Amino acid sequence: MPTERIRNFCIIAHIDHGKSTLADRLLEKTDTITSREFRNQMLDDMDLERERGITIKASAVALKTVKDGKEYTLNLIDTPGHVDFNYEVSRSLGACEGALLLVDASQGVEAQTVANTYLAMEHNLTIIPVISKIDLPQSRPHDVLTEMEKTLGTAPEETLMVSAKTGQGIAEILDAVIERIPPPKGDPNVPLKALIFDSVYDEYRGVIIYLRIFDGSLKVGDEIYMIKTGRSFKVEEVGVFKPKMVVKECLATGEVGYCIANIKSIHNVKVGDTVTHKKNRTAEALPGYRQPIPMVYCGIYPANNADFHVLREALERLSLNDSSFTFEPETSQALGFGFRCGFLGLLHMEIIQERLERESNINIVQTAPNVTYEIVKTNNEVIRVDNPEKVPPLHEIEEFREPIVRASFVLPSEYVGTIMQFAEGRRGRYKSTEYLSERRAILTYELPLSEIIFDFFDKMKSATRGYGTLDYDLIGYESADLVKLDILVSGKRVDALSTIVHRKDTEIKGRKLVKKLKSEISRHLFEVVLQAAVGSKIIARETIRPIAKNVTAKCYGGDITRKRKLLEKQKEGKKRMKSIGNVEIPQKAFLSVLSVDE
Amino acid sequence: MILKRNTSPTALYVHIPFCAKKCCYCDFNSIVSNQKMIDQYLDGIDKELRMLKSRFLFHTVYIGGGTPSLLSENQLEKLLDSICRSVLASEIKEYTVEANPGSLTMNKIGLFKESLVNRISLGVQSFQDKQLQFLGRIHSGNDARNTFHLLRDAGFKNINIDLIFGCPNQSPDDWKRDLEIAVELNPEHISTYALTYEEGTALTRDLKSRVVRKLDEYIELAMYKTSINYLRLNGYNHYEISNFAKTGYECLHNCIYWKNAEYIGVGVGAYSFVNGVRTSNEKDVFVYMSKVDENKNTTSFREQLTPGQYASETIIMSLRLRQGISNTDFYERFGYKIEDQFGDTIRKLTKDGLIHYDERLTLTEKGLFVADTVMTEFL
Ligand SMILES: Nc1nc2c(ncn2[C@@H]2O[C@H](COP(=O)(O)OP(=O)(O)OP(=O)(O)O)[C@@H](O)[C@H]2O)c(=O)[nH]1
Ligand SMILES: [Mg+2]
Repeated sequence: MPTERIRNFCIIAHIDHGKSTLADRLLEKTDTITSREFRNQMLDDMDLERERGITIKASAVALKTVKDGKEYTLNLIDTPGHVDFNYEVSRSLGACEGALLLVDASQGVEAQTVANTYLAMEHNLTIIPVISKIDLPQSRPHDVLTEMEKTLGTAPEETLMVSAKTGQGIAEILDAVIERIPPPKGDPNVPLKALIFDSVYDEYRGVIIYLRIFDGSLKVGDEIYMIKTGRSFKVEEVGVFKPKMVVKECLATGEVGYCIANIKSIHNVKVGDTVTHKKNRTAEALPGYRQPIPMVYCGIYPANNADFHVLREALERLSLNDSSFTFEPETSQALGFGFRCGFLGLLHMEIIQERLERESNINIVQTAPNVTYEIVKTNNEVIRVDNPEKVPPLHEIEEFREPIVRASFVLPSEYVGTIMQFAEGRRGRYKSTEYLSERRAILTYELPLSEIIFDFFDKMKSATRGYGTLDYDLIGYESADLVKLDILVSGKRVDALSTIVHRKDTEIKGRKLVKKLKSEISRHLFEVVLQAAVGSKIIARETIRPIAKNVTAKCYGGDITRKRKLLEKQKEGKKRMKSIGNVEIPQKAFLSVLSVDE
Repeated sequence: MILKRNTSPTALYVHIPFCAKKCCYCDFNSIVSNQKMIDQYLDGIDKELRMLKSRFLFHTVYIGGGTPSLLSENQLEKLLDSICRSVLASEIKEYTVEANPGSLTMNKIGLFKESLVNRISLGVQSFQDKQLQFLGRIHSGNDARNTFHLLRDAGFKNINIDLIFGCPNQSPDDWKRDLEIAVELNPEHISTYALTYEEGTALTRDLKSRVVRKLDEYIELAMYKTSINYLRLNGYNHYEISNFAKTGYECLHNCIYWKNAEYIGVGVGAYSFVNGVRTSNEKDVFVYMSKVDENKNTTSFREQLTPGQYASETIIMSLRLRQGISNTDFYERFGYKIEDQFGDTIRKLTKDGLIHYDERLTLTEKGLFVADTVMTEFL
């Protein structure tokens, strides 16, 4: 396929604005899949994506279409909309020349609409503005057109209208992609230059790399060289996504596809690396990707200490498919050997934890998440703290700094007051209000990251009846009055339960935390004392009364089986706990900090 | 490991599921029913008993319920006849019938007397009408006393009184009073059961909807301690978690269960345990009756214990007995010593003061109060 008949584009939007459903229609319209194969949100092929109804991973697929008697290949990448998976979007953009920018006709411009549009502009992509879901009775396409023009600078006359439900406007999208998005610029006659934009590990075939060919071409038998890792491999198979992998002889300039090269070690592949030929190398590497900065950290430990190595392998395999999370070994007195992992947000953390458990069949214990702090010590040394455990003793701390974000809320005007109140209560600094239209506004605040990352989303959603959206960027670190809050269980400090909190919140948080823990730790034969402390000062205390009487009154012939099963169940429950001193602490308790407000 | 074959079952249990009214706390297999159905049911029992074909030599018989004493005189006569035909009179050491005060008449008592019954277990629960009402019992405190005297007058020399403690509005004094009245009557055996909130009972529904509140655990414990001390003081041995008896009057039949020995159960939902296999009859009375009627197998549940399960179940059940289990007996049955399997557990529990372990394995008093917690360690 000549380069001028190839188009590479992605679909970007705020969460739930209909990207994957539009992709379905494009797959159907181009006969890429038969109706027998079809299922809704076809490209969301992970179980987790289907269960949650959201896209987590970007997926590529090659479509074939004919226009004016000529056949074209359209390489589409469907991206996720949730802010936590933003790195998937920026990686996809690097493999494309254009983007379909979707805005839900009933919702209008939202926080990630703005954020993703800027991202696409940074990558110099041609943007095709699209208003989606125009079939919805509550849709207001004309208002949305104005909002888009005002905030995103899109031209109303260039904006397409579609319904992925009725199929209205789908043909026009295909036409626009061919007419407006430029074909790839690469040169087929210079050495190979290809970008690794994603990868997965396959038990049988090793690492499968997902590529966008910028210059030259790639075929079976080629010896390839990866510039960053400095490794060479012999290509066994290349192909494209339809959306299943389909073998091809060659991947030509401008194409998007996959490559299998008997790569057994996942350490040999780095997403963002440039692939070239071993003998005939390209002069310069592609810029690649900036490693995203994790927003939250938490400890991940195997529930069973013996599974440490299984966990390490599982993390490595997963990181190949999701390079946006980080992990480093750490130890905890309470939990043993595990890893400190960094994530882009709480949903990301939740998804990784679930994928770990499912894809590697391992039980894990997770500690409460925290953001990264900076501490200036009295000897002027500056340390980064991604684990409350690493906070030095009080007298060694000169200054405690926390990450600050610029947060933009896009929301209906009537909720502006509510959100302002909200942000003020969380140490926010007001910056500005802009009106997208009479009915919608963008509110900007500077806020400590720790104040918005944990429960803020849910709270904001309910305060705005689901209409408020939020996007944020890290802008730096600022000094704050922070302290480490420790938890003692029967007099012993449990490192995995420590948190960093603002001094004004210590008492309330401490009290809530021990209360919550009390509800999660079951009674023992002895009294269990739970205390919250800052330094050596105890600020809250709860006791769990010992079991006084626990004895089945009646047990005759018919009761014996039932009784044994009951006791067996109790014993099974105990196995899943971490024993600290003599106290059995359930896995859930380590996450108590997250939900103390309930 | 070789499991030694026990001697064959020596205990026979017969279940009569019918009640005049279902009590709020009861999760036993019991229903309120009509006469015709009871007659049919007794036919079924008779058939099941005949199928045993005197394969076993029973030493104990226990008719439980439900309310066996609710049966009419004719029905009782039929039931007792069926049983008599299945046992060898000279072998019977203990033959118990459960009875409720109020449902016993002179004639019924006479029938018992004539047909080998030598022990009556009287479901008194409380002598105080306030408590009886709460529990949904249909008799009064006075009924209980009167029935007890009737039994004595008829010559019954082995009578048990069942009592319940730990009701939401019961005070420790109320409970003490119940114990005093029971002791005054001077039965041979007293069972004191802590009120239990079983799934699916009216009582548990009330608890969940907060119509009733559970009695504080510490008060309940105090009541339990009162029973132990007071009854001991009055000549009753505390021989099982909830059971007290004058010397020589421990319930032989129930001890079979606590030793995890073998038994045969007849009637709806009744369990049998033979040669390491536990089975239970169909739990629905209609299904049970139609199956017996069509000569079908009435078993609805069957489990073969693994040797490990058998051993640990035996320890757990035996720990209910204050005398626990002797290592010699255990060795004879299972071919190894308790400590061979549970060495670490025994050391830990001994250190915590919850068990004694020398020739016998027993619960300490401290262990007794948290017996369930201790027992999980022997799984
Ligand atoms: N009525 C109507 N509903 C639509 C249309 N397109 C999508 N939807 C519905 O909107 C919801 C979200 O659709 P998706 O396609 O999963 O949205 P998405 O943008 O891929 O979501 P993320 O990938 O999680 O960001 C689903 O319930 C779809 O059925 C449309 O054109 N009309
Ligand atoms: Mg999607």
